Amino acid sequence: MWALTALARVALLLCVSAASPVPAASSPASPETSAEAPLDLAALRGKVVYLDFWASWCAPCRESFPWMNRLQAELGAEGLVVIAVNVDDSRGDAERFLREHPAQFRIVFDPQGELPEKFGVHGMPTSFLIDRQGHVQARHEGFFMRDRDALARQVRSLLLAR
Amino acid sequence: MHPPVSIQIGRFARSATLLLGLLLGTCGCTHLGVKPWQRDVLARPEMALNAEPLDATLDDHIYFSKEAASGGRSFGGGGCGCN
Amino acid sequence: MQLKRPASQLHLGLMAASCALLSSTSRGQAAAADADGPPLQLDSALLYYKENGGRVQTIEPVVSLKKDFGDQRLLDGTLTLDSLSGATPNGAIPSRRPQTFASPSSTSLTPAPGKKTTLYTIAPGALPEDPHFKEDRVAGDLDWSQPLGVVDSLSFGVHGSTEHDFDSVAAHAGISHDFNEHNTTLAFSVSDEYDRIHAHGGNPAPGSDYALYEKEPSQTKTVAGGLLGLTQVIRRNWLTELNYTFDHSQGYLTDPYRILSVLDAEGNVTGYRYESRPDTRTRQSLYWVNKVALGPTVLDLSYRRGKDGWAINSDTVDVRLRIDLGGGMYLEPHARWYHQTAADFYTLYLETTSPQPLFMSADPRLAGFVGTTVGIKFGVSVGRNGELSMRLEQYEQRPSDQSSALPALQGLDLNPNLKATIVQLGWRLNF
Repeated sequence: MWALTALARVALLLCVSAASPVPAASSPASPETSAEAPLDLAALRGKVVYLDFWASWCAPCRESFPWMNRLQAELGAEGLVVIAVNVDDSRGDAERFLREHPAQFRIVFDPQGELPEKFGVHGMPTSFLIDRQGHVQARHEGFFMRDRDALARQVRSLLLAR
Repeated sequence: MHPPVSIQIGRFARSATLLLGLLLGTCGCTHLGVKPWQRDVLARPEMALNAEPLDATLDDHIYFSKEAASGGRSFGGGGCGCN
Repeated sequence: MQLKRPASQLHLGLMAASCALLSSTSRGQAAAADADGPPLQLDSALLYYKENGGRVQTIEPVVSLKKDFGDQRLLDGTLTLDSLSGATPNGAIPSRRPQTFASPSSTSLTPAPGKKTTLYTIAPGALPEDPHFKEDRVAGDLDWSQPLGVVDSLSFGVHGSTEHDFDSVAAHAGISHDFNEHNTTLAFSVSDEYDRIHAHGGNPAPGSDYALYEKEPSQTKTVAGGLLGLTQVIRRNWLTELNYTFDHSQGYLTDPYRILSVLDAEGNVTGYRYESRPDTRTRQSLYWVNKVALGPTVLDLSYRRGKDGWAINSDTVDVRLRIDLGGGMYLEPHARWYHQTAADFYTLYLETTSPQPLFMSADPRLAGFVGTTVGIKFGVSVGRNGELSMRLEQYEQRPSDQSSALPALQGLDLNPNLKATIVQLGWRLNF
């Protein structure tokens, strides 16, 4: 019993000392970013944006890249812009991943994590679908092979809406 | 004189569940942890709680044959938190 | 029957392995399925375990194959072979006079027509050990795990093993739930195991006279268990987990090969009895593990507290330090300290001057002792997708001192230490 109370005390101490408050989940922010952010979505009005957050250590991202390449290639002409925001601490790790999984879409590097914070990313990877008016229409947490077709249909429907 | 076995078990079980509940509540409300995009270290294979399953199984086998206590491990959680 | 593995515990371990792989592939572990191509992982090892003094030794190859069916749906199959041989203590204590025993497959202590007797004689002062011990075991496991949505996962599996005197089947199932943005995970699992014990020569009636050969052909036991676990990310480089496990065994729990010496007031042997254990056993444990990354080095520190209905309390402290040597190589020193108290029915021997207790056992596994392990592991990456490793460990058990006042036992070593060497070679490959 003494061992358990000791354990409880240690655990509480850990919890209290190591606590770093996580901000409350923000509702999907307006894509109108400030001048400091490395991404200016306002300039992409009129286009449909598939905004993806990825990292070199995220296994499902290895599946999502070939799919995003196809999406960009097939639907680029209709106004789709795929933007993949990298959140790796080290640029070297991100570039190693890109050598193994080349991207034919725009990559943005955000090692400080400003964009995922702003958009409210709760798990990796996360993608946001932004319509031509600049509003976030959908948010997908995780990347699943079985959902690819449904995702592509969602993108197409946004492209059709004018 | 030890109290009856059933009471001892009950006490241990109650203490254990109390501890787990306490930690759950504590960890929950202080929002311990990292941002989802800060899991690079946790995603490393050697940081998985069960990084070497065969070693663990073989060791468990040896200690089960030579000692009275056994097992206790299970590993859900940690890692990159993806999907 | 020496190196038996409780399937329920194995299951929790393997389900855990699948969960880890689930968490690892879904969470980007390079060692697990590389989603770029290889969704198949082969993990194999060869274990060699040898106790000092010509005692038990075992060779155990294990092969495990994990296949990723996409979206972190994983199938894990494992095959284990185990070949055991060497002398194993039979529970009787050393004596000044030579002692003769019959190996379990015998049907009589004295030669007689139609009876089989394989006898072995123990020299004065030596620990009685049956040198004919030999056992081969085959075990198989199949486990499945998959996500349920974005924050939950499910796993289940089956296990079976067979050897000449013991068969076992078991099943387990578990679920887990992530919250706080995957910083906290709650896991719950249950398992059930059914075993059949059919010792060489039959299962003795517990507590019966060794010379009378009262044996049953086969008996069963069941083990039901549950686990509740909490995993928490503390910091970017620090992960912790706390598990509570519970299991309840019921049935023939006695070791069919173990006996106890019956001594008179002087300490001379007057006979032997088969041991007798209760037909139920409830165990609980609280396990706390921490993984901390200190740069490229990883520290694994754990503590486990165990309690059981047979009054055996245990404490285990385990520490590992994985030191990255660069060039795909690592060195991992390991130390483990284990302590247990004796079962309340554990006794070194029986005395004619006292009534025979209902439950009794001289099995060293139920005695009070301290077990220490010191080891080192070396690993090296081979190519892009493989790894070779080698592990060397020394295990030593030091029983709590039990001395006796009986005259005939003076000068005899009643508490021999156990020393064992463990060597393991490992090979992992991602296809």
